[in-house]
Amino acid sequence: MSATSHAHDEAGQAPLVGSLGVDSRKLGLWAFIGSETLFFTALITTHLIFYARTKADLAAKGMLEHMDPKLYLGIDLTTILAAILLASSLTMVLALAATKSKEWPKFRFWLLATIVLGSAFVLGQVYEFTHLYHEGLKLAPQYVYEGETVKSLFGVTFFVMTGFHGLHVTLGVVWLIAVYFKVRRFAASPENPMDVELVGLYWHFVDLVWVAIFTLVYLI
Amino acid sequence: MRKEARKSTIPLLVLVLSCAAMLAGCANLPATTLYTYGDHATRVLDLLTPVFWMAVGVFVIVQGALVYTVIRFRSKQASAPVPTQIHGNTKIEIIWTIAPAFILLVIAVMTFRTQAANSYQPPEAMKIRAIAHQWWFEFQYDDGKIVTASDLYIPVGQSVQIQLEAADVMHNFWIPKLAGKTYMIPGKTNYLAFKATESGIFRAFCAEFCGESHGNMRFRVIALDPAEFAQWKTNYATTPAATNGTAQALGLTGDAARGAAIFADPKKQCAACHIIEGTTAKGKIGPNLTHYGNRLTIAAGVLPYTTDNLANWLHDPASIKPGNLMGRVIKKGMLKDQEVADLVAYLDGMKFAVNMPAEK
Amino acid sequence: MAIAEQKLTSVSPATASSGSFPWRTWLATVDHKKIGIIYIVSAFVFFLLGGIEAMLMRVQLGTPNNTFLSADVYNQLFTMHATTMIFLMVMPMNVGIGNYVVPLMIGARDMAFPRLNALSIWLFLGGGLLLYLSFLTGGAPNGGWFAYAPLTQVQYSPTAGMDYWILGLGLTGIASIAGALNFIVTVLNMRAPGMSINRMPLFVWMNLVVSFIIIFAFPTFTVGSIQLLFDRQFGAAFFNPAQGGDAVLWQHLFWFFGHPEVYILILPVMGMISEILPVFSRKPIFGYSFVAFSGVGIGFLGFIVWAHHMFGVGMGPMANAFFAAASMVIAIPTGVKIFNWIATMWAGDVRLTTAMLYAIGFISMFIIGGISGITLASPPIDLQQTDTYYVVAHLHYVLFGGSILGLFAGAFYWFPKMTGRLLNERIGKIQFWLMMISFNITFFPMHIVGTEGMPRRIYTYEAGMGWDMWNFIETIGTFLLAFSVLIFIYNVLSSLRNGEVASNDPWDAATLEWTIPSPPPSYNFLHIPVVNSRRPLWDAKYPHAAGDDHHGPSSAPSQVRYEYTDEETEGAKDIHMPSLTFSPMIFSGGLTVASLGFIYINKDILGLPTRVAALGFILIGIVMVSIAIRGWILDSRKDSPYLSQHH
Repeated sequence: MSATSHAHDEAGQAPLVGSLGVDSRKLGLWAFIGSETLFFTALITTHLIFYARTKADLAAKGMLEHMDPKLYLGIDLTTILAAILLASSLTMVLALAATKSKEWPKFRFWLLATIVLGSAFVLGQVYEFTHLYHEGLKLAPQYVYEGETVKSLFGVTFFVMTGFHGLHVTLGVVWLIAVYFKVRRFAASPENPMDVELVGLYWHFVDLVWVAIFTLVYLI
Repeated sequence: MRKEARKSTIPLLVLVLSCAAMLAGCANLPATTLYTYGDHATRVLDLLTPVFWMAVGVFVIVQGALVYTVIRFRSKQASAPVPTQIHGNTKIEIIWTIAPAFILLVIAVMTFRTQAANSYQPPEAMKIRAIAHQWWFEFQYDDGKIVTASDLYIPVGQSVQIQLEAADVMHNFWIPKLAGKTYMIPGKTNYLAFKATESGIFRAFCAEFCGESHGNMRFRVIALDPAEFAQWKTNYATTPAATNGTAQALGLTGDAARGAAIFADPKKQCAACHIIEGTTAKGKIGPNLTHYGNRLTIAAGVLPYTTDNLANWLHDPASIKPGNLMGRVIKKGMLKDQEVADLVAYLDGMKFAVNMPAEK
Repeated sequence: MAIAEQKLTSVSPATASSGSFPWRTWLATVDHKKIGIIYIVSAFVFFLLGGIEAMLMRVQLGTPNNTFLSADVYNQLFTMHATTMIFLMVMPMNVGIGNYVVPLMIGARDMAFPRLNALSIWLFLGGGLLLYLSFLTGGAPNGGWFAYAPLTQVQYSPTAGMDYWILGLGLTGIASIAGALNFIVTVLNMRAPGMSINRMPLFVWMNLVVSFIIIFAFPTFTVGSIQLLFDRQFGAAFFNPAQGGDAVLWQHLFWFFGHPEVYILILPVMGMISEILPVFSRKPIFGYSFVAFSGVGIGFLGFIVWAHHMFGVGMGPMANAFFAAASMVIAIPTGVKIFNWIATMWAGDVRLTTAMLYAIGFISMFIIGGISGITLASPPIDLQQTDTYYVVAHLHYVLFGGSILGLFAGAFYWFPKMTGRLLNERIGKIQFWLMMISFNITFFPMHIVGTEGMPRRIYTYEAGMGWDMWNFIETIGTFLLAFSVLIFIYNVLSSLRNGEVASNDPWDAATLEWTIPSPPPSYNFLHIPVVNSRRPLWDAKYPHAAGDDHHGPSSAPSQVRYEYTDEETEGAKDIHMPSLTFSPMIFSGGLTVASLGFIYINKDILGLPTRVAALGFILIGIVMVSIAIRGWILDSRKDSPYLSQHH
């Protein structure tokens, strides 16, 4: 709800017949998500290009079994993280449903659950990063793993890609917290469902990006 | 000499313009793309010529229509009646959507034909490896047995395939009269095949911005008759004999034997970067200076080869080519005038006779 | 009518506070018109800076073997000239005019997100200032506006210049994306009743298309520059082949943005031309849908032609052929636009005002730039012409002969709406002819020297190549060109004081912005108009114009008014507009300070590591951003009917 469309209302103007009839902020957020999709596409593509080269390089040296970068990335922890993030999408949906039916205690519970799950994901990623770093994976084109020097951009592309995703999750958590407090303070505001819907939209997007990264990096 | 060179009608236009403005008559154009002496560049010119005339046609029609419309429908009085409100005409729209498409289709078909010819790499082509450095070109023949710099010797009438590489940043290999550009990219190897159709000395450049002295990164291509080329190669592969001659530079007489000693002296650092076959100089950072006396230019095409220019270069390389590596080591005043003259005598003494063609 | 106008303008807070310049109402403004003006003025200042850089380069190249500039300074200048003209001049000038005009054209009172709009302008200025700060702190960026790897790696470009470039353009990039989102929502959601998509003015259409191009093109550039920043600051080696990186990947990421960027620069100007030509031909645009959809087509095709900048990198003949074909196809919608513009004037009553002259000049020069582009789309010819002065000629015919002449057309056309006074037509015409002639003196010979083998981006050249005379002529042309810009500045300054006072509709125009006073009041429209045709104002003025059966007002004339009673004008006080806020400015200031810190996170000055100071800057930046976010939330509450009572 923008300040100026409010200006139209107050001046007693006719409704915006010619316009789309969608909330402006929602429209803007959809466009933003379109833009973000290309942002992550470029990051993921970069990762895949260099990953394919590393793989070919190591296979040629007969070190693939021993050196496949996937071995660094314990699949267990990341599967749990993926599950956490997917669960947070579910709690987000439940929180939105609760705002629409104006069940505020329920809403607060589900939104808090989303915040907790989102934070858990971020903390899990921090743990994963430190763990990988100590195992030898560095933000550098060359690192030592189990006594052998690996020349690969795997660490570089991996940390930058997942790091930027983590940054987006973190900003999402901050946004969720802001919405939580706003709704708690102004429970009567008719803007609330849209506020929750917007942060939910962003949250689902960030979640989807993780699904893509998880599939392309950890599973394939 | 000129009669075999491929000419097009575009130069006519360009030259007419040039001549009109220049009292001294037609300019000598050492780097023009419109007088070609190589098959690669000639095929481009043969494509450009019809495209140019089509472009002229389109220009005359569209620009003419614009000017005519403005003049004819210019408002003649302040209170002219409101003209008929025409909103469009689908039939006309479709026509002028399709008409340019036809012209473009013709250009595209001609383009693809030329492109196929120009990207073909003849298997029998003579292979030369070119490596770009900031800011000079290195050329290797016969798997590195012959290494030279700044002068690219090729045989006339025989396809050569240049294997293009870069040692540091991205560069671009361009001989306007022989062949179009191909990038030299670190970590990637490109190939360019072409054939010189006439002997001559041709200007060539690095065409991609590659740092501080990009503007000073040039080379020469010397296309020799096949027999002459074979002779050049044999001579070049021969280790230069120790020279004892003298040479004049900036008014001083240099002694080649003394120059050789200076060059080999570790304190002067020449040998740390340069190779001269048959001596202890084995540095691999700078250009290989074997048979340096045969060079056509100094500092990768910046100055014509004269003993005076060489002496100036040795005095203060940074002033001639800003940012270059040698200038960071050899500062002004580090080499005394007599030392420079001796070095000049030494470097200038290493040469053999080549029957040089004319500059084209 | 004149009296009513006086009354209306007096409501505007800008004119209400008399005396000294009302800094607060400008710096804290969220009014799209004021933000538009700030964009326009700052873009013009950057235009002058970019022009000075160009002149210094032309002096250096005026004679062979010149030593006026050192190689390094020359390289900094051409990098900054292109960066300035693209990111700090043409783009923000388009955004500025769009910001001012688009809401007026669609009958809105502001952009959809006024505070976000303010954030965009301050972020743009922060980024621009950061870029120019580099001149004072040890060297401007020197790797070219295309920043090709690996020359921009820290070992080949050790000054902080390229870091300034990355972060400065990062800030302007955020500003552009935020601005584009704002335009998309504004155009789609804020149109006056009855202004359906197929009734939108073409300038609005082109702004919509460009906004979509921006949000889809900028992310790859952002990703590329983030990766480059990681290379330079943390040794990541994305684009460093010596350590396993890929130099060509940078080119793909850059040009996937870089080519659509060209359309970002030209399409809004094509939109301006499509407004100006019909008004001064007193006819509607010929083939509205073709002009609109050719713009959309160019927008789409713009995303599949990026690699025509890379024919020489060895992608292989098949890839080259694809990108060549796609590039040639783009000529079709571009041609369609030109034909429709000429047809618009055909059989019209063509009034050669200065704005119209510039619009015609645009078409004329754009024809040349378009045709010279065809040879560059053909890979074999491109390989002879690329990286020579031929390309410099081509791009200046498109971006100066195109974008900038078009922007002058827009300036003469909308100046009266923005300032309430007309620019002097006589001086304007003198300037037009001087500019046209000197533009061609400067840039036409570049086709010739390019064809004669002169490479671009060289700081010097040797004598006797046949380039000397042309280069000298080009340099003279540059000075004439600069003089014509001075004439324009004089015209603006003198017309602001003494120019003829503009009525609501000085050009007998067709679109909604001409129904309201010049300059418009802060709320734009006292009553939101109801639109029933493509040319609401024209149809109200000429209800029975001949040949207007299908597109005219017929049964329902547009409700367009520009005369109000005093009571109505009094009522304008009740129109609620968003309040002033400094938060967007503090936010962008914080980001700028933090970026400055980030540049020095791994550097040293005079042997001293700068990390502590850098972290300090980043911290200050974060604090400023936090303060701004808090202020932003509080300010937006003030304007919310639901939240304000609790505050």
